[in-house]
Amino acid sequence: MEFYPERGVVLSPERLEKTEAFLAGMGLRYEGGADYTVQLVSESGEILGNGSLCGNVLKYIAIDERLQGEGAALTVVSGLIEEAYRRGITNLFLFTKAANEMLFRGVGFYTLAATREVCFMENSRSGLARWLSSVPKFECVTGAAVMNCNPFTLGHRYLIETAASEVPELYVFVVSEDKSRFGFEERLELVRRGTEDLKNVHVIPSGPYMISKATFPTYFIKDTANVESIYASLDLTLFAQKIAPALNIKRRFVGTEPYCAVTRNYNEIMKELLPRYGVEVTEIERKGGISASLVREAIDRCDIDTLRGLVPESTLDHIIERYF
Amino acid sequence: MEIKKTGVAGTMESSDIIVRIEPKETEGIELELESAVMQQYGRQIEKVIRETLSELGVTKAYVNATDKGALDCTVAARTQAAAYRAAESTDFVWKFGGVK
Repeated sequence: MEFYPERGVVLSPERLEKTEAFLAGMGLRYEGGADYTVQLVSESGEILGNGSLCGNVLKYIAIDERLQGEGAALTVVSGLIEEAYRRGITNLFLFTKAANEMLFRGVGFYTLAATREVCFMENSRSGLARWLSSVPKFECVTGAAVMNCNPFTLGHRYLIETAASEVPELYVFVVSEDKSRFGFEERLELVRRGTEDLKNVHVIPSGPYMISKATFPTYFIKDTANVESIYASLDLTLFAQKIAPALNIKRRFVGTEPYCAVTRNYNEIMKELLPRYGVEVTEIERKGGISASLVREAIDRCDIDTLRGLVPESTLDHIIERYF
Repeated sequence: MEIKKTGVAGTMESSDIIVRIEPKETEGIELELESAVMQQYGRQIEKVIRETLSELGVTKAYVNATDKGALDCTVAARTQAAAYRAAESTDFVWKFGGVK
């Protein structure tokens, strides 16, 4: 069947509607965020293929069955990669159904981690190894905690202090994405300042290899009820298979989660999955009455007295300087 | 030639190759190659990329290449272009009369 590639498609309301309908027909949900789109269209204007670039992630890749075969898919995907490079975005990622893994191998993507439902790929075979080589290493057994710290509270401090007393060296990975109220650099700096006195604590940017819930795309997952579990299994599989062995991480620390069902579910999957790879999971009882969301609410009310009870001095100074 | 930033050249069209060169702190060229004709020509493509970089005096770089069946002259040209871009260099010496 004849098709014509269209690069840099403008998703006008009308075109967007057609695109959404096409994707829906292919079992995908459009959830926004397309910075650049390549489509394949028929002579009559029917959409036969689609792919979009969203930041440094390739998304919404679908080809009408009538065109399937490498040529059409390659046209879409290479169009996205070439445009990303033109824009100076050279480190690319994608999430796909396991069935499409081979297609993306052919355009230079390598699998970082795969579960039954989803495969996480990067356009570099050595990206993860390069990130790992930038992390300080220790001969001894280490522990790890992965935290967002939006912003750093006395609760985070308590968790880190407790964990650091149980292992010789502790990695604190701060989630590197900018979808939180406090920017990444800001969060990282506050964690560093707030743990300066703990000599065996190493605060490290998580890089792209600890998948943030905020950036995990769900548009290709049919089983919407299990999106959270699918996300958790993928993120934890990557951690257990590739990150923990390279850094000699034998323990992972996490706060207990009394409120949020999603985080609780994540912790449950962690407790099930990590021990299979020799990583022991320790839940640390959360300090009552402290949470980053209470801090953000107190900032909105300009309530310094409440803040004093929630955050360490280093965070308080920053908040007063920056937000008052 | 010193690699200062990421440089890319080429496309994923048939008979072309896309080459990405990135800075590396330690000595050595670390090459990852994916090719439609890996079995038959993988080694030859790698040889051309390494020789081209060596001629340019590039000794420290990460190189990622996705080949779609490019001829040697194309592989060399794309590697050169990516290296010059990555080195932010424009003093390219045109070799008339083809590649040796």
